[in-house]
Amino acid sequence: MRDNDALDNNPHVSRSALEAIHSQVFGWALSRCDFDHATAEDLMQQAYVELLSGNARFNNESSLKTFVFSVVQNLARSRFRRISSRLRLIRQYRPDRVTEPVEPVADDGVWHAVRALPARQRDIIELVFCRELTIEQASAVMGVSIGTGRVHYERAKKALRSRLQHYAEEK
Amino acid sequence: MMSELDEALREQLLHAWRQNAGRQVPSFDQSWQAAAKRHAAGRRNYRRFAAVAAITAAIVITMNVQLPAEDPFIEVADLLETTYWVAPSDVLLPHREFDIYQDMPVIFESTKPAGGTLL
Repeated sequence: MRDNDALDNNPHVSRSALEAIHSQVFGWALSRCDFDHATAEDLMQQAYVELLSGNARFNNESSLKTFVFSVVQNLARSRFRRISSRLRLIRQYRPDRVTEPVEPVADDGVWHAVRALPARQRDIIELVFCRELTIEQASAVMGVSIGTGRVHYERAKKALRSRLQHYAEEK
Repeated sequence: MMSELDEALREQLLHAWRQNAGRQVPSFDQSWQAAAKRHAAGRRNYRRFAAVAAITAAIVITMNVQLPAEDPFIEVADLLETTYWVAPSDVLLPHREFDIYQDMPVIFESTKPAGGTLL
């Protein structure tokens, strides 16, 4: 069935469905770009452009949320692949021009512990805990098998618990 | 289904997320309008590019049609020029660049039989 506000080039995607997951998509985009708000907004808009143009075509094979998250993930990957190759050149020839990314204010141990996790573990824990995806959906977004996703998830939880315990003891 | 331990961890994480990063979500309408603008601009650029490409192709085709056809005949002199070749070792010869077809040394002058055999 086609919604009234379905997109011309993406008949299975409606504006209202996107609006419902907007804040979640922004959160995911935000964590894709080191919590830079402007970049995250740009990334999210680019994902919407891909959906509007039909370059990213949703065909109901997964949930819309999983699909849009995958689009954001892929856009972020291709964007940062380009940026990192440029950065490598700048680091090589003009090291004085490179500025390190600004970390968000870590006012508690939980945030610090999450940020200290390896990238894959951090991603899956964010997708499952904060974005309310299943491990299967999160694995699809990350482009890994469910088995690999489960391993990352279990390791991330274990690492988080031990870090939090360590933090609580320190406090 | 999450265990109680997982649920507690999740609650902690969500709280931390809201505290640190999830505070300023831009409005959907704003983001959607900006995306729609970018999409429209992209389509406009694509159309412009397609128009320029079509015009260029039309110009190239028209010019090719109007150009006089190349002469199908080849001048003999030009052909000989392309086949002219000088051996690198010619410089070692006492008489350089002799024509082997014209300056063929005469070895056997006669075909008259002499003593039952050809000379």
